[in-house]
Amino acid sequence: MGFFEQIVAILQQYTPFFLDGIKNTLIIAALSVVLGAVFGTLMAIMRMCKIKPLRWLATAYIEFVRGTPLMVQLMFIFYGLPMVGITFPDVPWIPNFSRFMAGIVAMSINSCAYVAEVIRSGIQAVDDGQMEAARSIGFKYGQSMKLVILPQAIRNILPALGNEFVTVIKESSIVSVIGISDLMYSTNGVIAITYRSLPCLAIAAILYFILTFTGSRLIAVLEKRMKHGRQ
Amino acid sequence: MEDNNIIEVRGLCKSFGSLQVLNDISTDFKEKQVVSIIGPSGGGKSTFLRCLNLLETPSSGEIIFHDVDLCSKKIDINVHRQKIGMVFQHFNLFNNMNVMKNLTIAPIKINGKSKEEAEEKAMTFLKRMGLEDKVNSYPSQLSGGQKQRIAIVRSLMMEPEVMLFDEPTSALDPEMIGEVLDVIKQLALDGMTMIIVTHEMRFAREVSNRILFLDGGRIDEDRTAAEFFDDPHSPRLISFLKKVL
Repeated sequence: MGFFEQIVAILQQYTPFFLDGIKNTLIIAALSVVLGAVFGTLMAIMRMCKIKPLRWLATAYIEFVRGTPLMVQLMFIFYGLPMVGITFPDVPWIPNFSRFMAGIVAMSINSCAYVAEVIRSGIQAVDDGQMEAARSIGFKYGQSMKLVILPQAIRNILPALGNEFVTVIKESSIVSVIGISDLMYSTNGVIAITYRSLPCLAIAAILYFILTFTGSRLIAVLEKRMKHGRQ
Repeated sequence: MEDNNIIEVRGLCKSFGSLQVLNDISTDFKEKQVVSIIGPSGGGKSTFLRCLNLLETPSSGEIIFHDVDLCSKKIDINVHRQKIGMVFQHFNLFNNMNVMKNLTIAPIKINGKSKEEAEEKAMTFLKRMGLEDKVNSYPSQLSGGQKQRIAIVRSLMMEPEVMLFDEPTSALDPEMIGEVLDVIKQLALDGMTMIIVTHEMRFAREVSNRILFLDGGRIDEDRTAAEFFDDPHSPRLISFLKKVL
């Protein structure tokens, strides 16, 4: 049986496995990005605020999270926290809820640090003169941010945030090690049943690529539309 | 000429770290007066101007605008800045807004003007400058001279009592300098109080009532425009004029 026939045969039999994996991967990635974006924005604000202790705290957090492997962070949350008495509750009607929570929390904590840097650099890339002009005309700091700086910063931020979403989809494959049935976990399951690792991994790679490529195209469309509206 | 002081500067000092840029400057600016500030690079001209509306926070000293010390922590600087217009070397038009929005956003959001009223006023200014066809353009679509003239109108929209110009023509191509200077000259004729940091000597002489020579963080010479160029006292000014004229 040739390679492609093997792939077709596996897909015929195990498509529900892969679909279930995709569903869970997307749930984890989407929640992590949303939480990461929300907390990343707060973190970016802390990172740029005038209160020094807050700034230090945010800087330390960002540097530490970016400087340690996601795998370690995940293990820390899933295995480490319960040892000091912090556990995620189990919810009876959602299977594996506590595992999912650990995965999403770890991914969000990680994504938050990267998003914070994306937002900070996006804001700081706006020319200082824009803020000076807004302040000199009598706008308060907050007004200047809202009316002048952020609308310009968002054009820097959005493409990078799209990249971050794509990265999170890929990186989320790591949660399979704590037993969350994402796409990678499902793929391993199918390998265990069929003993055909190469075609299974090829399917997984193609599916991941479809997810990320669709994501980056959507971002590109959004970006173009925004540019169009401005000119 | 009226004799009312609009801005009084008392003992103004400004340091950046260990570098003292302004060293105990005291002077007055009177209503309807046009004052140019001239001096070598690094002499503190721009810093001085930027201290007047607190874009730079003075290290010490007072800036009194209408009997209020702008350096006091008790005042709301934003209220006073509305009455002190500022024009920048690099124009700093809001890049995310078209010309009309650039001109009307402050009157609408700060002064609570209606959109119609603000737009009508903006149109009047634009027509006077012959820029009415640019009303929907974005800053990136304008020439430097056009940007600077729009930036001047943006300040005028707030009906300022005094206008600060920070090297308004230094970033312009030579053929566009004239159109911007003409606008400033017209403002002078209309009786606008102005403080202008510039390198355009002929323009300074033509438009100013008074010229300050700022060097080493001090006012080295403070004379009428004609005296400044024809009868300079300070040796540093004499050597500066020799180089630039």
